[in-house]
Amino acid sequence: MKLKLTVFFILFIKISSQICGQQTVTFGLGNVKNISVSSSSNTTTGLKTLLSSGYLPNYNGASRFLSHATLGAKFSEIQNVASIGKEKWIDAQLNLPNSFSMELYLKSLHQIMVDSMLRATPSGGYTLDNTNVQNWHFDASWFQGSMTAPDMLRWRVALALSEIVVISRISGLDGQPYGMASYYDILLSNAFGNYRTILDKITYHPAMGSYLTFLNNHATNTTKQIYPDENYAREIMQLFSIGLYKLNLDGTEMKDANNKSIPTYVNSDIAALAKVFTGLGWGDRPYLGHYQKDKWSYTKRMKFFPLDSLEYYQGWWQPKIYNGHEPGSKTFLGSTIPNRPVVQGEQDIQDALNIIFNHPNVGPFMARRLIQRLVASNPSPAYIQRVATVFNDNGSGVRGDLKAVVRAILLDQEACDCNADKNSDYAGMLREPFVRYMNLMRGLKTTTQGGIYRNTMNNLYDRIEQIPLYSPTVFNFFQPDYIPDGDLKTAAKYAPEFQLLNSQTLTGYVNALNNWLINDDPVEFWSLFNNETYKPDQDSKFDLSADSSLATNEKIPQLLDKYNLILAHGAVSKENIEIIRQAIISMPYTFDYYGQPNSQDIFRRVRMAIFLIMASPDYLINR
Amino acid sequence: MNRRNFIKQTSCAAMGSTTLLSTLANLTSLNGALGAGVVKSALPTDYKAMVCILLSGGVDSYNMLVPTGTTTGGDNGYNEYKGVRTDLAIPNVGATGGLLSLNNPQCTSFRGIPCSYNSFGVHPSMTGVRSLFNTGKLAFMGNIGTLVEPVANYTQYQSGLKKLPLGMFSHSDQSMQWQTSVPQSRDAVGFGGRIADLLNAANSHQEVSMNISLAGKNIFQRGQNISEYAISNNVNANNVGFDSLPTWWGNSGLLTQTRNNTIDNLVSKTYANLLQKTYSTTTKNSMASFGVFKDALQKVPTLTTSFADNQLSNDLAAITKIMSVRNFLGAKRQIFFIDYGGWDMHSDLISGLNNKLSVVSQALKSFYDATVELGISDKVTTFTISDFARTITSNGGGADHAWGGNTMVMGGAVNGGKIFGAYPKMDVLSSSNQQNISFRGNFIPSIATDEFYGELALWYGVSPYDLCYVLPNLHNFYSYGVNQYPVGFMNFNGNAISTENFPQDCLTY
Repeated sequence: MKLKLTVFFILFIKISSQICGQQTVTFGLGNVKNISVSSSSNTTTGLKTLLSSGYLPNYNGASRFLSHATLGAKFSEIQNVASIGKEKWIDAQLNLPNSFSMELYLKSLHQIMVDSMLRATPSGGYTLDNTNVQNWHFDASWFQGSMTAPDMLRWRVALALSEIVVISRISGLDGQPYGMASYYDILLSNAFGNYRTILDKITYHPAMGSYLTFLNNHATNTTKQIYPDENYAREIMQLFSIGLYKLNLDGTEMKDANNKSIPTYVNSDIAALAKVFTGLGWGDRPYLGHYQKDKWSYTKRMKFFPLDSLEYYQGWWQPKIYNGHEPGSKTFLGSTIPNRPVVQGEQDIQDALNIIFNHPNVGPFMARRLIQRLVASNPSPAYIQRVATVFNDNGSGVRGDLKAVVRAILLDQEACDCNADKNSDYAGMLREPFVRYMNLMRGLKTTTQGGIYRNTMNNLYDRIEQIPLYSPTVFNFFQPDYIPDGDLKTAAKYAPEFQLLNSQTLTGYVNALNNWLINDDPVEFWSLFNNETYKPDQDSKFDLSADSSLATNEKIPQLLDKYNLILAHGAVSKENIEIIRQAIISMPYTFDYYGQPNSQDIFRRVRMAIFLIMASPDYLINR
Repeated sequence: MNRRNFIKQTSCAAMGSTTLLSTLANLTSLNGALGAGVVKSALPTDYKAMVCILLSGGVDSYNMLVPTGTTTGGDNGYNEYKGVRTDLAIPNVGATGGLLSLNNPQCTSFRGIPCSYNSFGVHPSMTGVRSLFNTGKLAFMGNIGTLVEPVANYTQYQSGLKKLPLGMFSHSDQSMQWQTSVPQSRDAVGFGGRIADLLNAANSHQEVSMNISLAGKNIFQRGQNISEYAISNNVNANNVGFDSLPTWWGNSGLLTQTRNNTIDNLVSKTYANLLQKTYSTTTKNSMASFGVFKDALQKVPTLTTSFADNQLSNDLAAITKIMSVRNFLGAKRQIFFIDYGGWDMHSDLISGLNNKLSVVSQALKSFYDATVELGISDKVTTFTISDFARTITSNGGGADHAWGGNTMVMGGAVNGGKIFGAYPKMDVLSSSNQQNISFRGNFIPSIATDEFYGELALWYGVSPYDLCYVLPNLHNFYSYGVNQYPVGFMNFNGNAISTENFPQDCLTY
C-alpha cells in the first residue's frame, strides 16, 4: 500500500473586519498545520468557520481525531473521516444504536458451554443456572464487542464512563461476570443518553449496590445501634458527581475570603444522604436483607423495600418488623427532602439524585473528567467551561445530555488543535496502558473468520495492570489530580495516567509489546469447556501481509509512515522515525534462491517497526 | 554556590546514572571544600530499614486491639465495647473465637490524654502478633491519626479555631495524609520520600532508589528529589528489565541489544513536552537500575524462614530477599512500601477481618523471623498505617469511615509489649465522651502521625536539625531535647541521635 498524505486544503484566509476588531488565531485544527489566519466577524462565528465546519481533515488530523473518539482505528476509518469530515462522522456515530449487549453475548458463551457439556454428557443435567461462568467470560465479551461494534465512539465513551462511575471485580463482584456485564450495558446504552439516567441506573444496579455496600442497607435501628451504611452516599458525591470542593463553571475551585477551597459537603451531609439510600435489596428476592442470591440477581434492578421484615421471614423468636427505609426528612447539600411515609421512600431517592444532579459542580466536574479520559490531562479552564456549559444546557434546555457533551468535547477547538504543543508544553495525555493495547488490536489488520475474537485478557492484566472493571478501588486506576514527580510537578500540571507508570509497569508494557508483536501472541484464547476443539480462526494474529513489500531498506520510510499515521497520527517526529529506521535497516535481510526477500526477515522488520513506534514517547503521549 | 543550592541544582539535572555518580563525586569533594563546620559527619554507614505496610481502605482497628476488662465500675472496657459495637463485637477472652489477651500492655497516657483501659486483647486470628507483643518485639499506637495540631477534645474540634485535616473521612485524602503527614495540604510529598531526599546519598548505587515499592507509585515514598523504584514481589534476576527477543528469531542477542539501544535513544532525547519528558525520564531511570538490581538479585542466598502464600507474605518475602543482598546493592538505608488493601469493610466485616488480620499477623511474624535469620532484626522497623479507623457503631454487618485508630510497629529496636498513645473510651453514645465527635463513634486522634513518624525518623538517622523538613507540622507537637523522644516506642540505647545536618529549607504548608 502506498500511503498518500494529501493536504486537502491549503488556505490562507484574510477577511477584513467590519464589525469587531481583527484577531489572529493559529489555524490548524486537524486541517492544516501552523497557518496563522486573521479572521473577521466575531470570535464565535469566525472560529467556527475557520476551525471546524466545512473543512476536511487531512489523514493525520483524521487519525488524531480518531485517537480521541475510538479505541483504535484502521486506515480505512482514517480515510473515512478524511473524506466525510469529523462532524458527519461524529453525528453518524452518535446516531448509531447500541449494537452490542454484554449480557446477551456473555449468555451466548455460557449457552455454548452448557450445550457442549450436555453433548459430551447427556445425562449431566447442565443448565445456565447450575453452570458457572467466570470473570474472563466478561472480558471475552468485552473484547468481542470492542473489536466488532460499529458504534465505536460509544465504546470509547463507555470505557471512559467505566473509569468514572467505577465498579471493579476486586470486590464481592469477583466471579460475577453477569453483574459486571449488566452494569457495563448501562454505560453502553446510556453513553449518549442523559447523565441523570446513568445516576438512576447505577444507583439501582445490584453490582453498584454490592460494590459500594448499600444493597440491603437498613434504616437506623437505635435498639441495635445500627446505622445506614455511608459508603455510597460518600462516593456518589465525591467521585460520581460533585467532588470535594465547590467549583466554578471552568472547573477551577472557588475560594473563600482566606483563599481556601470550599468543601461541598461535611460529614453530616453524608450521614443524611446515607439515610436516603436505605431499603434497596436484591431485585428478585422477597425481603430486605435476604442474602441468598444467584448470578441472575446481579442483573436485576434493585427492589425497594420500605419495611425490613428479615426477622419475620427468618422466623426468629418474637420477630420484629423494622423500617427498611429511613423515615423522616433528610437534609444534605443545603436541601431538604421532606418527611414522607416510608412506603414513598423511592421518591426520597429520586429527590436526592435530583439534588446531586442539579448541583452546579456536576457540569465542570464531569467535563473535566471526560476530557481527561478522551483528550488531554490539562484542559484549559475555557475548554472545561465550554463543555460544562453544554452539560448544563445542550442548547434545548436539557441538562446532562451526554450526546451533546461528547460532541462538544471532541469537536472543541482545543481538542482539534493538532499543533497543541505550540500553546503549552504540557499538551496531551499519556495513553492508558489498556488503550494502547486496543490501539494496536483495532489499528492493525488481524486474522479472524466469522468475526469472532476470543480473548480472555488474563495475562494482559498481569502485564499492564489495567483492563475494564479491574480497578484496585473505586478511585479508578489513577486519579484526576495526580501529578508526577519532576517537571510536571514544577509546572503543577496533572497527568493521571502516570500514577500507573513505574519501573515495574513500564517494563511490563515493553514486555507485553514483545509478547503481542515479537512473539506474535496478541490475544489469549481459552477453551470455553473441556476438550473444546482449538479454533484458530478465533485466536487472532496480526495479518501483516500487506506490508511485505514495505520491508526493503528503501521502502522502510513508507512502512514507518504508515504505522506512524495509524497508531500515532504522524506524531512520531522525523528524528525519532530516523532512529527507528536505523534500527530496522540494521536487521538482517536476505533473499531466497529466487531473489525474493526472505519472508521471515520481512515480518520481523515490520513487527519491530511497530514495536518501536509504540515504545516511543511520541506515540505514548497523545497530543 | 553554597551546598544547599548545589543540591537543588543537581537534583534538577537529568537523572542518568553517570550524572548522579559524578554528582556524588562532586559532592564528596565539595564536602571537603566546605570544611567540617557545615557538614558535621559522614552519611550513615550502618544498615537500617523501614517497612511501611499500608492497609488501604481503612482497617477496623478497634476490632484489632480491643479492651477486655469486665470490672463494673472499674476497667469495664469490654462491656463498653460490646455495648456500642453490637453485631460487630468479638467475644471476650476465653469465649469460643474470643480475643487473645495481651500480657500487661501498660497503656498509660499521652499528652495529657489518659488511656481509658488497662486490659487488652487482640483479634482472635492474630496469634503471631500476640506472640510478638508479649515478647517485646511489637507495640501498638492507640488512637493515632492525622492531625495538623493537637485537638484535645470535642469542644476544640467544634471551635473552628483548630486546623483540621482536609477531606476528613475520604479515602483518597486520608490515605494520602497518612503517607505525607501533612494533612492541611494536597500538594505534599511523602514522609519516606522526604527522608530519602536527605539520606539517599548514603547508598552507593544511586541507580536503585533507597525507596523500594511493592505497590507501584505511592505518595509515601515520593520526595522532592527521590521517587520509588517499583518491583514485583516475584523477585528474581530473570524478571528484571526487558525480555530478550526469542531465540527463534536468530541473532536474538544482537537484536535485543538493537531494540534496547533504540528505546534508550528514543527516551534520551530532549522533549519539550513535559509529559513526554516525564515518560522518558522514568524510562531512562528504570533502565539504568536494571543492571545493578539484576546483578544483586543473582546473589540472593537460600533463606530458611518460610512465608505463607498470599500477597502480603509474598511482598514481605521479597523484601527479605532484597535486604539479603543489601551490600551488593550498596544500600545503607532502605525504605520499603507495601499496599495490602481490601479493608474498606462497609459490610461482612467480621468474616473480612477473620480472613485478613490472620494474614497480617502471620506475615508479620514470618517477616520478623526472617530479619532474625538475616541478623538484622534490630535494624528493621516495620509498621502499619491505614486510611482511618472505622465507626464504632455498626451499619449492620459493617462499619463506615472514621478517624483515629490503632496501628502496629514491630522490630528488634522497638520497645515492644506496650500500647503507646491513649486508647479512647468506648462509650461513644455518651455525651461526656470528649474524644468522640459523632453519633457513629469516631475519635479525635490522641497521637498524631507526626509524633509517630518523628520518632522513626530520629531512629533512622535524621538529625533533629532536619525534622522540620521531614515533618513540617511536628513543631506543633514536639521539640527535640536530649533523651526526649516524641513517643518513646523506639529503643535508642547505644545509638546516638544523628547530628548530621542536611540544610534543606524547612517545609511549610
